[in-house]
Amino acid sequence: MEKVKKKIGSFSFWNWVTASIIFRLILIYFPKNLNLSSRPEVSTPLTSFRRLAEGYWLKQSFMSPYAGSMYHGSPLLLSLLGPLTINRIEGQPNHLLYSLVSVIADVVSAMLIRATGQNLRLAYLRSLESLDLVKQIEVSEFLFSGDIAALIYLCNPFTIVACVGLSTSPIENMAVILCLYGACSRLIPLAAFGWVIATHLSLYPAILIIPVIFLLGCGPDSPPRKLFLQRHQQKEVLNQSKLPPRFSWGPVIHFAFWAFLWSVYVLVLCGISLKQFGGLWEMFKSTYGFILTVEDLSPNIGVLWYFFAEVFEFFRNFFLIVFHVNILFMILPLAIRLRHRPCYLAFVYVAICSMLKSYPSVGDSALYLGLLGWFVNELADMQFSLFLFCGYVGVSLLSPVMHNLWIWRGTGNANFYFATAMVYACLQIVLVVEGVSAMLNHDRKLRNLITGKPQDAKS
Amino acid sequence: MAETKEKSLSDEKPKPRVRPIVRLGIFLISHSFHVSVVCCTAGVLALFLLPVLAKNTYISENALMPGSASPMLSNQHVSDGNRLVKDLTNPNSKSSETGIESHKIIAQYMLDLGAEVSFHKFHPQMNQFHPLHFFSSPDSGKIQENYSCSSYGINTVGIIRAPHGDGKEAIVLVTPYNALKSGFGEALSLGIAYSVFSLLTQVTWLAKDIIWLVADSQYGEYAAVAAWLREYQTPKFSSLSTPNAEMCPDVNNLFELKGHSISGSKFSNSFRRAGTMASALVLKVRDQNEQFEDTISIYAEASNGQMPNLDLINVVNYLAVHRQGLRVNVEKLWSLLNSSWLKSLGEIFESLAKVAKSLYPKWKFGIPATEYVEGTATLASSLYYQALGVPTGPHGAFRDYQVDAITLEISPKFSLDKVWRNDILLRGGRLIEGVIRSVNNLLEKFHQSFFLYLLTSPSKFVSVGVYMIAFAFLIAPLPMVAASLYVDANSSSNCSKGDSSTPSAITDTDEHSIAIRSWRWLNSAKLVFIVHLWGAIVSLLPYFISQIPDCSPTTSFMIWVLLSILSLLTLNSVLASPLACAKATQEKEWALVKSVTISSVFIGLGLMSVINFATAEIGALLMVPMCLLAQPLKLDVRAGTLRSFCRMICNLVLGHIAFPPAALFLLKGMLDGFGNANVGDFWMWVESLWAWNSATYLFIGMVQLPCWVLCISILFHTC
Repeated sequence: MEKVKKKIGSFSFWNWVTASIIFRLILIYFPKNLNLSSRPEVSTPLTSFRRLAEGYWLKQSFMSPYAGSMYHGSPLLLSLLGPLTINRIEGQPNHLLYSLVSVIADVVSAMLIRATGQNLRLAYLRSLESLDLVKQIEVSEFLFSGDIAALIYLCNPFTIVACVGLSTSPIENMAVILCLYGACSRLIPLAAFGWVIATHLSLYPAILIIPVIFLLGCGPDSPPRKLFLQRHQQKEVLNQSKLPPRFSWGPVIHFAFWAFLWSVYVLVLCGISLKQFGGLWEMFKSTYGFILTVEDLSPNIGVLWYFFAEVFEFFRNFFLIVFHVNILFMILPLAIRLRHRPCYLAFVYVAICSMLKSYPSVGDSALYLGLLGWFVNELADMQFSLFLFCGYVGVSLLSPVMHNLWIWRGTGNANFYFATAMVYACLQIVLVVEGVSAMLNHDRKLRNLITGKPQDAKS
Repeated sequence: MAETKEKSLSDEKPKPRVRPIVRLGIFLISHSFHVSVVCCTAGVLALFLLPVLAKNTYISENALMPGSASPMLSNQHVSDGNRLVKDLTNPNSKSSETGIESHKIIAQYMLDLGAEVSFHKFHPQMNQFHPLHFFSSPDSGKIQENYSCSSYGINTVGIIRAPHGDGKEAIVLVTPYNALKSGFGEALSLGIAYSVFSLLTQVTWLAKDIIWLVADSQYGEYAAVAAWLREYQTPKFSSLSTPNAEMCPDVNNLFELKGHSISGSKFSNSFRRAGTMASALVLKVRDQNEQFEDTISIYAEASNGQMPNLDLINVVNYLAVHRQGLRVNVEKLWSLLNSSWLKSLGEIFESLAKVAKSLYPKWKFGIPATEYVEGTATLASSLYYQALGVPTGPHGAFRDYQVDAITLEISPKFSLDKVWRNDILLRGGRLIEGVIRSVNNLLEKFHQSFFLYLLTSPSKFVSVGVYMIAFAFLIAPLPMVAASLYVDANSSSNCSKGDSSTPSAITDTDEHSIAIRSWRWLNSAKLVFIVHLWGAIVSLLPYFISQIPDCSPTTSFMIWVLLSILSLLTLNSVLASPLACAKATQEKEWALVKSVTISSVFIGLGLMSVINFATAEIGALLMVPMCLLAQPLKLDVRAGTLRSFCRMICNLVLGHIAFPPAALFLLKGMLDGFGNANVGDFWMWVESLWAWNSATYLFIGMVQLPCWVLCISILFHTC
């Protein structure tokens, strides 16, 4: 975040990318000293590397990888990444190969973010052009949001920690970004593939199907359709070509077909790899079931573990439903309000998920902070930016200290650590609320520019 | 911050309805100067009030029941102890060069009591630089390559298994002992421990195993205890060093003799363990004493200002004072005892209390002035040792494994007759017996009483809830001033741009200013980030400098300063320059820099207050005024009023004082006179800090130093 620059030439962009890769490689060579892979902030029961290695080992010895409630990830990850957990190169750090895969995943994600950001920026400029606002808003001042978003993603300490801490979140994030990239550049099979894999790996990205449908149906983010109509009413010429396209069902059906195809494919692969160990039902039970029933109450940066450690057993199911429905409740209103900005909608969904999911890690925050970079132009007048920044810095420093106080020194207790988790959740809420209101204000400002009102309503 | 924005909005377009909390925020921010003056004064005042607010200690854990049983230590045990002291002080036992003979004697005595005995060999570990040690768990020691047979120590460990226990818990008794040059005090401490030990082999009430560790202190007391604890808690399964140590003929010799002389006994070659440690007592007897009565000093500070549970100190204090008639001492800053200003402050508080009491008889908070002075001296030393982060004795090693431990140092009236010696053995022994018996009653680990407290006397303490108030007052102005500066910087730039433009252009300029307004602080944040990065580099530099052979402290310090300046210049040119020239024209940039600096200081101090309160408190006393007052000197010179002149003077003085080496120099000067202070002192001090993995070191390197640099850069800002 701190390295965001106002004007980033492509030369310095590549400099920063290289620097961040080198920084990761340096950190990879000191895994013992940092001990990141055992931090609760980095490795949750779902993303932990040690659990992956355990699952692989169980599978190699002809037992179900889900035996003993150790591993809760996808069987595909076991087949793809499992061999990397035991392959070692002489004289190198133990998990070098796996770390390199994470670094590559991060870089690929950053590149996809960049490409998507450029797409979004072009779309934004095009829509401004068709609204004849190019002169009023100095387009030359526009930042290259793709570059900025990619750099935020790459240089964010959260991403670096998740990458060096050997968690699987870089790969999960890559799947999400792949899905959004595919939808933005209208590569429907790719989008479907990303969506299916992301859902398969961590379940929560399933709700991204709504922004993806909007993206495919009416194209990338643009000001509300109403504005275009108003503009053209003013001019009294209805130029259909300048209007954003109406919702078209073709690509959506196309997407549904591909998504179906990919999910059948993934399920068949999973079924094959789990044939001897209880089949698909076992997989559903110990991956999605594990996510939804919050079985593991070990502390993490979320708020659910504390709550479910306290709650009475016979209320447990009720509160499980309440917490998960919380996410679903927010889907519809947000989808209606932000339907003209599907990518922004995706950002909001990802942020909400990372706040309310059962086993959050810093990798999830890394993802939505990266996506936030796409909208630097629209969110230029976001409020509380310094406050949020300081809050994120403070919490991410305070949380390990509180954990240490509780677990190692014994002078604190669980409330100390949970307090930081609550502050973190509040910060995320403030970020989402302010972000959405800033985006709506931006739309309002555009409307005022068109209708020619002298003062803007709220900004 | 929430309010800051609202304020900037309400300036432009007054809103019909503002929520009360927002209004309160706006009020606080707009009066941030007065608020910060009031808060800082209150913070300092509250700090001086702490000795008055101290509460009497009480035993919080009911299970402890100290002193409820009559002591069982009899003259028989005392004479046993006396025998050991005589044998150890016997010149024959010191014939061997490595002092193995005396270890053998101790082991033999333990064996005769029926205890399990083993020797633990260790190599003294050089103190290494682990900057991140605070965040990591205690790990098993790294295997070192070049062990030599000449440098190893032997700890003698005796274990009594509890007749009624399940062997899952243990109490540790540590007596540091240097076999090569032991004074009479060390032998006497062994005597006391032995007499207790011999009693404990016979008693039936023992529920926890007793471990008696005779720590070989020829390489330092702490190193021996730490080595034994490391072996105890984190066993090495494939250790390369053990066979290496076994090779040494001397050590083998020791074992052979032992095995030969007492076959079939409970002696074992391997490392023996008992259960998890409930608590540990380190017992020392001081050789010389100038006091007129038998006193016992309690040392409790472990690394990073961690304290053992207050109940442990309470038990010792209660038993020593009320059962054995010993005087209990905790460390004091002696230089404060004679200071007249403190005395007059105490008198003021005393008279205030009297007035209050005359007004309303139930207000009883005053303490006599002498007591106040003594309490302040104790509090100051408590703060000082906690802030230093260096353990005050071997008990510090236990705290790293969450075991509550204290060091008891008995300083008897000095006389040599046998009656006196027996008396000390009896009273010391009974004290230890009582403490062990109390701890033996515990069902859980110590958890009932406080871990976070400051002592103002052995029987008075200030708990975390009270002393945090002083700190909170001190740092409360920081976010407010940061917010008000942020708002000022933003609104002023808006006004200057908006005023001159014609109505048609308003929207245009608004767009432009909005685009930079909200994220303008990023520039300052970058500067602050660079300086903090530099701070991290500076804190890592001593590690490399210490590798240079044959370097005097002064040279090392000079190299350090040189490299630091060099790295600052490099970082500045590499990272900052392209941006600095692009945005140098911004007005009031210094205000934004100050705002971000203050925010970062707030985060740093808040963080440190959780890690080590004392460091944060002392740091806040230095840094908060400096941060709040910092303003470009040019502006002050230009203004030329009395107020700006005063501020300039304050800034310059604070700028000198808050520089860490200068602060240390002043502190040293105040404590032991300015005559013998030199430049190398700071280096030595820093070296001791990082050798002990003190978080204070990181605080100085990564919070205070960057803050100082930023404040200086604000002072010399060209605006």
